[in-house]
Amino acid sequence: MAATAKKKAKNSSFGQTVIDGKNVTKIFGETVTALEGADFNIRAGEFISLVGPSGCGKSTLLRLVAGLIEKTSGDLTVNNEVVTKPRTDIGMMFQKAVLLDWRTAIENVLLPSEIQHRITQDDKNKAMASLDLVGLKGFEFHFPKQLSGGMQQRVALARLIQTGANIMLMDEPFGALDEFTRERLNIELERIVGELKATTLFVTHNIQEAIFLADRVLVMTPRPGRIAKIIDVEFDRPRDISIQTSRDFNIIVEEVRDTLGGH
Amino acid sequence: MKTMNFVISFLKYSLSFVIVLGLWEAYARYGGLNELFLPRPSKIGDKLYNLFFKFEIIEQGTIYWHFFATLAQMSIGFCYGIIIGNTLAIIAAFNETFRRYIAPYAVVFNVTPGIAVLPLIIAWFGFGWESKIALATLVCFFPPFINTLTGLLKKNDEAIELFQTIGATHSQYFWKQQLPNALPEIFAGLKLAITTALLGTIVAQFGSATEGVGILMQRFAFRLDMAGSFASLVTMAIMGLLVFTIAEVLDRRIVFWRDTKGLERVSRKKQRKLSSND
Repeated sequence: MAATAKKKAKNSSFGQTVIDGKNVTKIFGETVTALEGADFNIRAGEFISLVGPSGCGKSTLLRLVAGLIEKTSGDLTVNNEVVTKPRTDIGMMFQKAVLLDWRTAIENVLLPSEIQHRITQDDKNKAMASLDLVGLKGFEFHFPKQLSGGMQQRVALARLIQTGANIMLMDEPFGALDEFTRERLNIELERIVGELKATTLFVTHNIQEAIFLADRVLVMTPRPGRIAKIIDVEFDRPRDISIQTSRDFNIIVEEVRDTLGGH
Repeated sequence: MKTMNFVISFLKYSLSFVIVLGLWEAYARYGGLNELFLPRPSKIGDKLYNLFFKFEIIEQGTIYWHFFATLAQMSIGFCYGIIIGNTLAIIAAFNETFRRYIAPYAVVFNVTPGIAVLPLIIAWFGFGWESKIALATLVCFFPPFINTLTGLLKKNDEAIELFQTIGATHSQYFWKQQLPNALPEIFAGLKLAITTALLGTIVAQFGSATEGVGILMQRFAFRLDMAGSFASLVTMAIMGLLVFTIAEVLDRRIVFWRDTKGLERVSRKKQRKLSSND
């Protein structure tokens, strides 16, 4: 664990390419170009933020990788396999927690296991551990409606961990939360993803959040949606929230702003 | 403290009930009411006492026989109604062609006053129990149909995406998300159906019957036995309350996640179950 924590976000420190997109284009209907000519290459263990205003195609890109929608043209592979449908080594988190109201926190976390096979004691232990990891020890038997918005997203994260997927796609998971909760969850997400060594694609429209979490930021611009710039973020991990006030951090913020500002 | 509050509110309701009955009784005794229209409460009470505790026989049976005959006819009609309603709803939810071209007939069926079909029903099913069951079925199938359909069609794009990403099949999505998600609407439909089924049964009994609370009401009214008619009415109200309460309790038990109390109860139960397993 210490080794991952100390790792520098240098491109060389990551594994081989897991997600590879070349000239990926998605056109909805006849005329709406949601994503145009996107080239991206994501390596194992990398944390990638996709940042941009609404309509820039960031959610579209995420859903293409997830296999939830089909690309119009271009090449897109995950672990060297062409993406045609959702796959279980890719897990997803949404802006809403999407928990089943009639299931307790632990029963929600167990859902992915239950879809695959009969629940075993191992699954239950793993679910307890997942909930512990996201800081929900003692809330296993609470129902979603008995939890705050932030805690509901923690359950959703535990459910994502439970899938065992080593690629995690997150579509503005903290977008509906208040600023304080969002900040706390960012810090914990950074820690958890580091522990799991998962490859992560994180969609957000919050520039600070995007930079704080990422090894690389994909800045996207709208009409048509395209990747305008890819920026490396080389802060040591684990990161402290105080880096957000540092000079280096704000230089990157400026760079993102400039890229978005032209549009 | 909780029981204390309950006792106090119960006393308040009882008191207001007694006051209304008392005023009615007093006004009737004073001669202000023509008892051929509205009998005094004590006479209705007497009649109820005779029916329920002296086992007065009307039309070859005690009130209990009439009560349970009605309850049985209603229950069978209700069961047919919810089976038909829910089956149609499930087909309509999954088949757009069916939903577009067949479902409108159900709506036309519903706006046609169901009880007006009674003469036809009697022509088809005769004077026995079948016609009562048929009318009950006919008037009660629509609420479950429309409610279950609404519940199953509730838009839930993110849940669909979640189930896709964890590799769920269509049937897993149906059983684990779509159906439980529709349960609040399904139960709302059942609660509406149960009272309309009672209505259908009793109206069918007016048409022709040898047993049932409806026929009691009719015989008493024809004899201008107003106390008897009102006693029948009270009996119907009791029956309605009984079946509605059963539906309400089932609803609270099964769709527990609608209110905080239900959530707390089930949450505690699950926690206890785990600690007893250890």
